Amino acid sequence: MTLRERRFPNGLTLLLEPDEAAQTVAAGYFVATGAREERPGELGASHFLEHLMFKGSESVPSAELNARLDDLGGHANAFTGEEATVYHAATLPEQGGELLETLTELLRPALRPADIEAERGVILEEIAMYAEQPAVRVADELRASYWGEHGLGHSILGTPQTVGGLTREVLARNWQERYGAGRVTLTVVGAFDPDAVEAWAARELTGWPAGLPAPAPAPAVPRHPGTFRFLRDEGLSRVQAALALPGLSARHPLREAATVLAELIGGENGDLYWALLDTGLADSADLGHLDYTDVGTFEGGFSCDPERFVEVQAAYLDVLRSAGDRLTPERVRRAARKLAVSTLLRAETPGGRLFALGMDALTMGEALTTEEQVARFERVSLEAVRAVLDLCPLEGATGVGMGGVVQ
Amino acid sequence: MSSPAALPAHLWTLDSGLTVAFERRQGPGFAFDLRIPVGSAHDPRGQEGAAGVLEEWLSKGAGGRDARALGDAFDDLGVRRGGGVGPEATRVSLSGLSADLPAALGLVADLVLRPELPPGELPVLTDLARQDLEALEESPPDRLAVEARRAAFPPDPASPHAGYVHPASGTREGLSRLTPEGLRAFHAGYPARGSVLGLVADADPGEVRGLVERAFAGWNGGEPGVVPARFVSGARAHIPHPEAEQTHLSVTASGISPLSPDWLRWQLALTALSGGSASRLFHAVREERGLAYSVGASPVVLGGQGFVSVYAGSTPGRAGETLEVLLAELGRLGAGLEPAEFERARRGLLAGVVFGAESLRSRAGGLTRDLALFGRVRPLAELRAAVSALTLDDVNAFLAGYDPLAGATVVTLGPEAAGQGTGEAA
Repeated sequence: MTLRERRFPNGLTLLLEPDEAAQTVAAGYFVATGAREERPGELGASHFLEHLMFKGSESVPSAELNARLDDLGGHANAFTGEEATVYHAATLPEQGGELLETLTELLRPALRPADIEAERGVILEEIAMYAEQPAVRVADELRASYWGEHGLGHSILGTPQTVGGLTREVLARNWQERYGAGRVTLTVVGAFDPDAVEAWAARELTGWPAGLPAPAPAPAVPRHPGTFRFLRDEGLSRVQAALALPGLSARHPLREAATVLAELIGGENGDLYWALLDTGLADSADLGHLDYTDVGTFEGGFSCDPERFVEVQAAYLDVLRSAGDRLTPERVRRAARKLAVSTLLRAETPGGRLFALGMDALTMGEALTTEEQVARFERVSLEAVRAVLDLCPLEGATGVGMGGVVQ
Repeated sequence: MSSPAALPAHLWTLDSGLTVAFERRQGPGFAFDLRIPVGSAHDPRGQEGAAGVLEEWLSKGAGGRDARALGDAFDDLGVRRGGGVGPEATRVSLSGLSADLPAALGLVADLVLRPELPPGELPVLTDLARQDLEALEESPPDRLAVEARRAAFPPDPASPHAGYVHPASGTREGLSRLTPEGLRAFHAGYPARGSVLGLVADADPGEVRGLVERAFAGWNGGEPGVVPARFVSGARAHIPHPEAEQTHLSVTASGISPLSPDWLRWQLALTALSGGSASRLFHAVREERGLAYSVGASPVVLGGQGFVSVYAGSTPGRAGETLEVLLAELGRLGAGLEPAEFERARRGLLAGVVFGAESLRSRAGGLTRDLALFGRVRPLAELRAAVSALTLDDVNAFLAGYDPLAGATVVTLGPEAAGQGTGEAA
């Protein structure tokens, strides 16, 4: 497998990783835009646009576009994040040409007013669905606490008010501003002919308007008050809590060590498991490391009985504070190996490899082979994990709890 | 298209009765999926939660290791663990690098056959299951799933088994009655016969067989048994949930058994109904009317019988219309498919055969599923040929005699009942 990268004059990037032994081909448009750059009154615009892409282009109506996506085998989907919006599909090798043509048609939305209204209803239902899930509500509240007014605190779905107020004009302007070729990477992985795809892209994608250069993102300085906020909700019989602490950016040389540290604390055999789940104090407790282009966070949470909240919160924070005391070369080696093996095995299918390649290229700014991604985990040492703790001491978390009466 | 996955699987029934399906495939990794035919439906009546709590208890030490040493042993191999307890089976799945396959099989055999089962851990585990039940009660879709099974699959009062209503975490009453002795006896009933192991790796078949035989030597256990699913047709229930943002809708209808010659025709019809963004339900509910974000129909096999389970969630003011559309689409199936949607669904099924066997983990799960549902491994080439051979006339002739709407059971959960006037639809 060789990785081929090409940037066209309009700024569009092509990332190809052919694999003759693969049984399928996967492709994705990775667009460097997301909720982070939304204006305050337009929250949810990125996600709304993602939905509207599936409503057809000027030349292909919605029903036909959906039928063409289903013809590929029903593996098409999309998601919106803080910094990335991704449209992806996979199919059998003999349909590789249709895969690229259909995905490309998807990225040319007509934004018809009637489609916008029907889809607004779908998104309001999506918001209502998540509003019933305590873990989602508490995560949204945590983002707001930790990031304050900064774009990384934006709710990706938006609110019923902002989604209700997004007009066609606003959506079209967002599309104009944020879907220029300079923001777009087409990644293709699996069973395909790279020369043919490159020639196709040179023919079909070089006319994509370059668009405006992405504005420099507002410096990602969290508000991070370092305190817990508790939201009373008498309708809940359990307490859900979430918390955040500074981590490292995707481009930091210790990024993989930060992920290993999160695994040691919050993985299935991690410190939190033994302190909170093995003892039965909480029915869930986890921690992960999230990274963006210029900043990162450790984010985690737990759920427990209301009368145990104070005890569980104290135990959780103590696990974080004392994480350095439990580090051993053996534990670091185990966690690093586990992450290396799962990185390797996830890359065995084009669909799995597509995201590892495309998302890393977008957030890290460089395309890495699977071998390099695996090696970066294997190289993580005890010293590297200690260096992460020196930079990110895991004390003074910002947190949110939600539930009924607690002590 | 040729692919390494097209090689036929090796099938062995070991002396103990354990059935193994092994497929050799090039690559750095292995994956296996062990399915023991004991699930939450097998919980002794009055001890709901037995299978779920037992599965958690297994991980508290095995093969002479305590819980921490066991967790470290898995982590030493860098393996990814999966599995859990479903209505009809307990599954343990693992994937990792080929060189670690012998150790991984040994660890799982220890876990399943030689657990420590320390009595001191049991109160913690039953309390965790109680917490899990409370969390589930705060999730309207999960509550709806329980209530839908209560309406559609009530337990047989004459059966010693608790049946299909309760979740794997059990019930409060059932959990309070679990004892170390009772669960040890329940564990002793894990049968070798009826258990199946799907395994994919780049290894010599003879060596793999020897590895599995040694790891699981001495396993006998009890007799496997199927808990019959007694479907109550035409039932209606509404569960009030005043604070819910949405009204959640469940329709359960009869389907086709895996062993029926109509199985693939039914699968194709369900793909046309709900298999993609151009499918009937997605189009009618979401694309055309914008009534719901989440809508879909899926096949469910319980007790060897097939059913279709339809779900949607809509805000209360729109839920009535959503339910009407769901029922109308079920009713419209009998009139047959259009050529274009037939072709789309067939392509979707064909691609699904390839995607479903593509990763090691999904293929290992597929081998196990084939053995459990069909009693054999369906070779991928045969399956592709069978799907390719389906014709529109074939499927429409089947659909002319298939009326899922007749006898459908409808359960709703939310602030107010949806579609009160649609009772006559059944």
